[in-house]
Amino acid sequence: MAKRKKPESKSEPASAPRVGVYVCHCGGNIGDAVDVKQVCEQARRVPGVVMARDHMFMCSDPGQELIIEDLKSGLVDQVVVASCSPSLHETTFRQVMVRAGANPYLYEHANLREQVSWVHHGPEATEKAARLVAAAAAKAGQLTPLEPLRVEVQPRAVVIGGGAAGLKSALDLAARGQAVVLVEKSPFLGGQAAQLSRLAPGGETAAEVIGELAAAVLAHPNVTVHTCSQVTGFEGYIGNFKLKVTRKPPEGMEYAERLAALSRSGCGLGEFAPFAGVMPGAIPERAEEIDLQAGVIVLATGMRPYRPRQGEYGYQNFPEVVTLPEFNRLLAAAGEGGTLILNGRLIRSLALVHCVGSRQIPGIHEENEDGYLNEYCSRTCCAAALFAANLVREQYPKTRVFDFYRDIRTYGRGQEELYTRAAKNQAVFFRFEAGEEPQVGKNPDPKGPPLLVKVKDVLTFGEELSLPADLVVLAVGQEPNNIADLVAMMKIPVGADRFLQEVHPKLRPVETAVAGIFLAGTCQAPLDAGEAVAAAGAAAVKAAAILSRGYVELDPFVAEVDLSRCTGAGACVTACLADGALSLVEMEVGGQKGKRARVNPVLCMGCGACAAVCPENAVNVQGWTLKQFEAMVEMIVSDEYLEGKR
Amino acid sequence: MAMALVNLDFAEELKAYGVDTALECFNCGTCAAICPLLFEHFPRKMIRYAHVGAREKILEQAQDLWRCLHCGLCTRTCPRQAGPGELILGLRRFVLAHARRA
Repeated sequence: MAKRKKPESKSEPASAPRVGVYVCHCGGNIGDAVDVKQVCEQARRVPGVVMARDHMFMCSDPGQELIIEDLKSGLVDQVVVASCSPSLHETTFRQVMVRAGANPYLYEHANLREQVSWVHHGPEATEKAARLVAAAAAKAGQLTPLEPLRVEVQPRAVVIGGGAAGLKSALDLAARGQAVVLVEKSPFLGGQAAQLSRLAPGGETAAEVIGELAAAVLAHPNVTVHTCSQVTGFEGYIGNFKLKVTRKPPEGMEYAERLAALSRSGCGLGEFAPFAGVMPGAIPERAEEIDLQAGVIVLATGMRPYRPRQGEYGYQNFPEVVTLPEFNRLLAAAGEGGTLILNGRLIRSLALVHCVGSRQIPGIHEENEDGYLNEYCSRTCCAAALFAANLVREQYPKTRVFDFYRDIRTYGRGQEELYTRAAKNQAVFFRFEAGEEPQVGKNPDPKGPPLLVKVKDVLTFGEELSLPADLVVLAVGQEPNNIADLVAMMKIPVGADRFLQEVHPKLRPVETAVAGIFLAGTCQAPLDAGEAVAAAGAAAVKAAAILSRGYVELDPFVAEVDLSRCTGAGACVTACLADGALSLVEMEVGGQKGKRARVNPVLCMGCGACAAVCPENAVNVQGWTLKQFEAMVEMIVSDEYLEGKR
Repeated sequence: MAMALVNLDFAEELKAYGVDTALECFNCGTCAAICPLLFEHFPRKMIRYAHVGAREKILEQAQDLWRCLHCGLCTRTCPRQAGPGELILGLRRFVLAHARRA
């Protein structure tokens, strides 16, 4: 549970506020549009402000030193910095407070760049800047010292998903000495990578990659693996997650194909079976429930290959049209020779089609059954298709390969080389425009190959070409696995593309908006196996950092109940958006027993919905109280500090 | 215009006319960019026809082959050493061998 640390900061605010205002020019970013000197002068007239200074770069060391000196000399108690967006430098200046021995929450930020100088010009810009600074100063005068919330962390990580990413996360966490529970829905470890034979672009085999990862995970004493298991219950918060896991035998034809591949392979438990994965233990005979407590969760729920609709490029209308994953299975069973032979059929002419189920355009392409379009590029299919083209051309030189693409995006290391190699291998390329995809039909020539692929070829200046083909291979994209139940339980943000969303694509790329839950691999975006494993390693490190520290500190901007005012009306509990953050609890206040509101500060999001509905104004968000808002509004509408204001 | 059939056996047929690089092309267009006698899509389209084996198209548009004065710039700049200049000469020999009386 959360505990408050005793205030240990020496700067309790004096009864009268002493606010220091520090206005930044941001080079010319702010100074070119805002009269910074005038803003300082006007700030000095705001009640409570004892000092206003400006600096070319307040975030620079000399700028920070200005603030530290004023705090240390006792000139100011509360600080306002008026500069860029708080998302950039609020943390910087709170740290300045700490370095000066002051409480970091006696700090208020005013945004004069994104909200003023970048969007306004002339005298109005300076006036708006002055009003924002005055409001921030008025609020700063009302601030009280706060202490961060401290939450103890359950020393365990739960990794959901046992594919390449989940295995890697589990292994890295275990290697850092953390206890890990790996929960996998299917009876197998290895996920989608185990459904492949060789992995583009490098050509490593799935057997070596997944075999090695799974063996290391299964051998590690810190990891407990539950296959045939799904998360069916979730509650809690960072440091204290409670999960219910249901372990049960597969239903109906679930995983039948992979179980058949396992028995065909003759592999035993713990061994890698091609196109199945590693089955670590027997399938349970009946359902059971497992309760887990965890400090952190890593989501590695993965992707599934796009499944074309019936008739899309002739899929399911012609047995000679297959997806790239299906082709990989066929290829693995093929013998050697000059010409590729699949199921007894000579494949002299093989057509590959890119962008199947990816980069779909509203109004041009048809929605999937569930009404979605995959507007994103799946990134991995170009390399996978060219890898397959090279494999065929090099192993079966008499089989000709024709590659139909919209664009070729061999973006990563070792991928452009695949394209160059395919060109050298005399794969012949055709380019089509969106909406003018190649048409796959029956070849009218009975003596020729079974299929005829027609395309309006950009490389032949838009002329129509037709290619007799023995096999059409569709390079299908990636879709996120359906984890609607997990998303609903954990309230994780999902992007428009249905992949899980990180907090920030560059600055916090493996964290979700739910503290303590991390993303690993293709649940987040289409990735190749190497990228998925890299992301999984990053997620493991972030998760391990929390576990090894043993506690987390959270910002104290959470609701606080004034028990002298609370009458137990309960409006706040009804309005609360975070399950469990507010509840009515029987307690004794001033010798009287009754129900009163209580906040669980760790679950509170600080949204203020409670403060808005309380009839007694008995609940407020710390650091953002109604009184503080009132002070800000008063200053925004006041003209007293503005010079020459009509 | 009739739809052309892709036929890579044409590359084999061209060998008899001294061309064995038709399939080396990767459609970059450098030959067209450097050609001093660039005319509409000549020479790039002719190279593409040879590449995909659009035999009938070459015969239909054969007179374009005589736009070339064989300066050799395309062959010198081709990044794939596909010898576009020699390919044009080979196509002339192919066309002459299959010339149709008007």
